[in-house]
Amino acid sequence: MAPGGRAVREFFLSPTHAWRAFIGDPSEGLSAIWEGFLTNIWMFIVCEVLVLIFGLAIAVVRMSSSPILTPLRFLSTVYTDFFRGIPVILVLFAVGYGVPGMDLGWISQQSPTVYACISLTITYSAYVAEVYRAGINSVATNQLVAARAIGLRQGATMRYVVLPQAVRNVIPPLLNDFISLQKDTALVSTLGIVDATQAAHIYGSLNFNFAGYTVASLLFLLLTIPMTRLTDRLINRDRVKRLAFIS
Amino acid sequence: MIELHNVHKQFDQRTVLHGVTLELQPHEVVCLLGTSGSGKSTLLRCINLLDRIDQGDIIFQGQSLLDDRIDVDLVRRHIGIVFQAFNLFPHLNVLDNITLGPQRALGRPKHEVESEARELLGRIGLGTRSGDYPDQLSGGQQQRVAIARALAMQPDVLLLDEVTSALDPTLVGEVLDLLSDLALQGTTMLIATHEMQFARDVAHRVALLDAGRLVEVAPAQQFFDSPSQPETVDFLSRVPKTQ
Amino acid sequence: MRALRLALAGALSATALTAATLASTAGATTTLKGCDSATYKTSGKLTVGTDNPVWEPWFSNNKPSNGAGYESAFTYALARKMGFSKANVKWVTVPFDASYAPGAKSFDFDINEISYTPQRARTVEFSKSYYNVQQSVVVLKTSKYANVTTLAGLKGAKFGDQVGTTGMTYITKYIKPDAKPRAYNTLDLAVAALQSKQIDAIVVDTPTGNYMVNVQITTKSGKALAKQIGQFKSVGEHFGVTFQKNSKLVACVNSAIAALKADGTLKRLSNQYLSDYTAVPLLK
Repeated sequence: MAPGGRAVREFFLSPTHAWRAFIGDPSEGLSAIWEGFLTNIWMFIVCEVLVLIFGLAIAVVRMSSSPILTPLRFLSTVYTDFFRGIPVILVLFAVGYGVPGMDLGWISQQSPTVYACISLTITYSAYVAEVYRAGINSVATNQLVAARAIGLRQGATMRYVVLPQAVRNVIPPLLNDFISLQKDTALVSTLGIVDATQAAHIYGSLNFNFAGYTVASLLFLLLTIPMTRLTDRLINRDRVKRLAFIS
Repeated sequence: MIELHNVHKQFDQRTVLHGVTLELQPHEVVCLLGTSGSGKSTLLRCINLLDRIDQGDIIFQGQSLLDDRIDVDLVRRHIGIVFQAFNLFPHLNVLDNITLGPQRALGRPKHEVESEARELLGRIGLGTRSGDYPDQLSGGQQQRVAIARALAMQPDVLLLDEVTSALDPTLVGEVLDLLSDLALQGTTMLIATHEMQFARDVAHRVALLDAGRLVEVAPAQQFFDSPSQPETVDFLSRVPKTQ
Repeated sequence: MRALRLALAGALSATALTAATLASTAGATTTLKGCDSATYKTSGKLTVGTDNPVWEPWFSNNKPSNGAGYESAFTYALARKMGFSKANVKWVTVPFDASYAPGAKSFDFDINEISYTPQRARTVEFSKSYYNVQQSVVVLKTSKYANVTTLAGLKGAKFGDQVGTTGMTYITKYIKPDAKPRAYNTLDLAVAALQSKQIDAIVVDTPTGNYMVNVQITTKSGKALAKQIGQFKSVGEHFGVTFQKNSKLVACVNSAIAALKADGTLKRLSNQYLSDYTAVPLLK
């Protein structure tokens, strides 16, 4: 054990501190980490659903060949380039402090959680749109030809033939992005939202002890590990299937 | 039903079809022979408007398919095509593969197209496999489903592009038997194939495509027994003798 | 005026300190109780940690070494008592969280408006009080809480604070607002949230709050847009400098603080830098 081992253990792993941080104590100004974690969970769920929808819309627009959609196609390309390149935290600052500061009536009067969700959705939609796009590209051309050959229009071809296969092909990378999204919900603390990490931070600075961070880490692991395992299983299943196909 | 007039098709600098002229009558079966690369597939794809021709005209039921005002998707609902590689939709089971077109392209009610699809599956001998997915079927079974999928659209004419070429030899028979049945029922078909015996038995007329030119079109018997063109004689001498 | 005074003080003390500087090896020469056994990070120097940026009125122009602002001036007065010349005081940047993390510290003591709490004192050593703190409530002048004078009247307000400051304790302990208070990573973010009306009120120590309303939250021409509607009654909260646990320097610094109290230096510095703040009314 390192010379400072005992101090470090007390600082990060003290069960007493961990428990106090977990349950919180308003009379001491302490938010409960479990309560903060509920914020992480629901933000993650709401954002995930929104990201799936917007990401898909952006990918489909970007992949469309209709000349009417050319301006939108251009916009969606700019959008994905832009938001994939900017750190989430800067988007959070811009939306979370910029929009309310602009005095745009009700748009500027939303709660920080709304702005946080918008920021995460904007950023992750750009990532996920690219994943979808890779998925759409992975669908064999002969599938498109077969669909057009039975008279399906472009929209129906996309909806009933291309997308179902595309989504299946990209489930593992999609889940990967969702694991990052789960973790990035911790960044919403920049907007003053007391999530699990911010509650741990409060505990840490009022008690000079970081056991709360350990608690928050464990809670995040409880959320992300099942997701990681599921991703692994899907990747594996896919691999087995492909091997079977080759032999 | 379909008239091809002087059809030309180029890919980049390479001319694939050199002025093909051919007419297909209702209930007629025409087999299209030719070596690989002679332009058979391209010709079928052009008729289905999957490829656009560069010169000439294609008339379908009295109307030019080159007219800009025609609805391509609508035309395809009347002209079915089956591919060498089946191209079934792997994410849909057999029944859904067949009903997708009628339901989503023709907008027909689900219960109606499903009962028709089941009937079709019965006819092709796969009545019990409606819930299976394509990768659970043999190549021959998949190709039969692909044919059923095209038939479910109730097309006026069916184009078949070497539908047995990708199959294990032991599975070819079941697909050709199905095509023979369809011919007997009066289905109008243009069949690109390498199966000489089948062509002789089933086709009303046989055509030979050689390097993008249609060198001979003749009634089946005449085509095989007394070909008039030297290219036909040459072609027939190079393929394994039938019978 | 202030600059002139400081320059004079520096010149006066310089001669007196020459001898002390020459004599110092392990520590500085001083007669203060507890200082003979003191050890320093760098011998002959007093290494003091604080955050970056630092704020008025505790520091001035974000330069701890300029001797202006309450904490900077106090640090130099303390150093003088302990036998260090101005030149031998060395400032190092220490983020707040790093000031209490385990492991060897880069400073002899850290000064950063850190309030003493018994919980904190389990991890670090605190000096005796160098300033007794009261916390105040800052709201925008246009806010519906601008004329509230009681704690109960603030129950419906949305509160925000810098993460981990004792202000949060006052919010959840004495006001118990309906909406969960927000915690911002820095004080400027909390101010930004107040200005954009994301929150209604900030709880912050009275001097800092005074700086906010007089300097930070103003129009371009310097007109105040916010006000301190009141302060909480004193509950004995005070600032102490912090040391690594079991530091040998605590007794010496405490003796020096006691001396600064006894000779009136603390009072004088408080009047100079923090005098305005007694005018804020108490919240009932």
